Amino acid sequence: MNARPKNTILVSPVGDLDLDSEFLHELCDKISEIFGCECEIMPLLKEIDFARDPVRDQHHSTLLLERLSALAPHRVLKVLAITTVDLFIPVLTYVYGEAQLGGKSSIISTYRLQETHSAKVTPATYQCRILKEAIHELGHTFGLRHCPNESCIMHYCRKIQDVDRKSTELCRYCKVLLSDEMKRLASE
Amino acid sequence: MGTARILIVDDELIVRESLGGWLERDGHEVDTAQSGEEALEKMKDTRFDILLVDIKMEGMSGLDLLKAVKETDPDVAVVMITAYGSISTAIEAMKNGAYEYLLKPFDPNELGVLIEKIIEHQAQALETQFLREQYKERSRFESMIGQSRALQEIFSLIEDIAPTESTVLITGETGTGKGLAAKAIHSKSPRHEGPFVVVNCGAFPEHLLESELFGYQKGAFTDAKTTKKGRLELAHGGTLFLDEIGEISMRMQIDLLRVLEDRVFYRLGGTQPIEADFRVIAATNKNLEKAIKEGSFREDFYYRLNVISFSMPPLRDHKEDIPLLAEHFLHRFARETNKPVDQISREAMDEMMLYEWPGNVRELENAIERAVVVCKGRKIMPKDLPIFQPEYAALPSDKSLKEVERAHLISVLNENEWNIAKSAKVLGIDRSTLYNKIKRHNISRPS
Ligand SMILES: [Zn+2]
Ligand SMILES: [Zn+2]
Repeated sequence: MNARPKNTILVSPVGDLDLDSEFLHELCDKISEIFGCECEIMPLLKEIDFARDPVRDQHHSTLLLERLSALAPHRVLKVLAITTVDLFIPVLTYVYGEAQLGGKSSIISTYRLQETHSAKVTPATYQCRILKEAIHELGHTFGLRHCPNESCIMHYCRKIQDVDRKSTELCRYCKVLLSDEMKRLASE
Repeated sequence: MGTARILIVDDELIVRESLGGWLERDGHEVDTAQSGEEALEKMKDTRFDILLVDIKMEGMSGLDLLKAVKETDPDVAVVMITAYGSISTAIEAMKNGAYEYLLKPFDPNELGVLIEKIIEHQAQALETQFLREQYKERSRFESMIGQSRALQEIFSLIEDIAPTESTVLITGETGTGKGLAAKAIHSKSPRHEGPFVVVNCGAFPEHLLESELFGYQKGAFTDAKTTKKGRLELAHGGTLFLDEIGEISMRMQIDLLRVLEDRVFYRLGGTQPIEADFRVIAATNKNLEKAIKEGSFREDFYYRLNVISFSMPPLRDHKEDIPLLAEHFLHRFARETNKPVDQISREAMDEMMLYEWPGNVRELENAIERAVVVCKGRKIMPKDLPIFQPEYAALPSDKSLKEVERAHLISVLNENEWNIAKSAKVLGIDRSTLYNKIKRHNISRPS
């Protein structure tokens, strides 16, 4: 049916972001480099009230992921949504982001990335955190799980300051696992 | 960071899915059940390390599930998930052996820290047990014995493959003598003057396995006070036997594959390449092809190992070797214990020929060892054999293998007062296999 393999990762802003387009393009370049795919910027979701929990005043990320997967055009391999609202999943107080493990969609929230001990971080640090969270969540959609290597991008950081310490790269284990997944996708 | 097998028990689908997803991304094996009943059903076939249980559920309550689990499997860590309204129940759960309770919604870090703590506890317990058992372990039956066609074929195969440098994969049930076959290949190979280094991959907790295999450089981590050679290095010029290869983690598979491809490796924290001069023989009782399909075993690593492969036959397929093996073990244990036992009665031999030996040659060896110890005269009688304890003897002969195994397990467990380590040793299987068998046969400890 469709001879062209899906090869596009969408970076999909949800509503207005406090990020300039120069940064978003830089993010796209980094994503292309790491995952070896084309990367485009394209909004998919405007209205996200359906996922809002009025009591918690947070948005339920699992519901957002389901909607994103349904809305993504056929040619799209993976989606990374970026939002400014605070995200949660039931039973947990918050999440920095969520991804469908080995699935299509992922989302990150910038809500908790701006501060450390309630002091604002520099714009450069803030953007670097967004970049790392984005690659991390996308990594999950390629089936990668958390990695014990502290400098690996797939390492799960308990504290946001630890994110500043990890690199923007995959460690060699995760690289092998990613290339396995790429081969599997290519053979599909 | 370790990983655990976790069962989430909650009647809300969205909780199961989102919490399950979070834990899976964290590297854990996750399964879910929507009721206490379903959880118990799942626990019959699968061993979980951790249960996350919602206190309030339709049908069986979280507290009842906790009690049922603690009765059959006290080692499982049960974490209760509770809302503000049911804190008193949570406290009651703690009294009933719950590991911890979490008040929802909880901080993701709280969950992460808790799971890590549980994994550490369980690994420590395993490690102590492992060290204790490693100390007790002595080298058992030393040579392969058998005149059956099945074994003669294995012998000639070994003659053929020994002179090559090819990697060998030996499959077969536990206790069939895979290690002996590996040893035989080594001793007939051009490397026979080099060392034969055994690594039981299933016996080591993951973090120990890595340093055990690769060794470490002084200062590689806090405890690395001196430089230590790993088993890869110790196998230089000889053969490296990787037993229970099906148990190693993805990361270790990636590392070992690289060693096999590049023929060099590094100590942990080391920068000097060390030449990998050894032949690899691996063994497993697992179905690796199935593990590949399930994603727990790497296909590329499998093909590296599976250059030549053969399967050790279960003892029930070469019963004609039983007399010879039994005689051999009898003389050895009589000598070791200084007891004047030198015969096996006709009746005892008949019984041994009828029995299916789920633990294979190792179980036979253990049975004879015990018989020599309890034997009153010079002749081993049926009553001396652990397989013919009263419960067992009452079985009609047309029972299925499964039923026979179940009865046998019960009798051995009872005999050893449900000490899992002891019973596993008598049965000639490892503890986790025994746990699984207990689950599968739905055997519970008599109260
Ligand atoms: Zn993650
Ligand atoms: Zn990694």
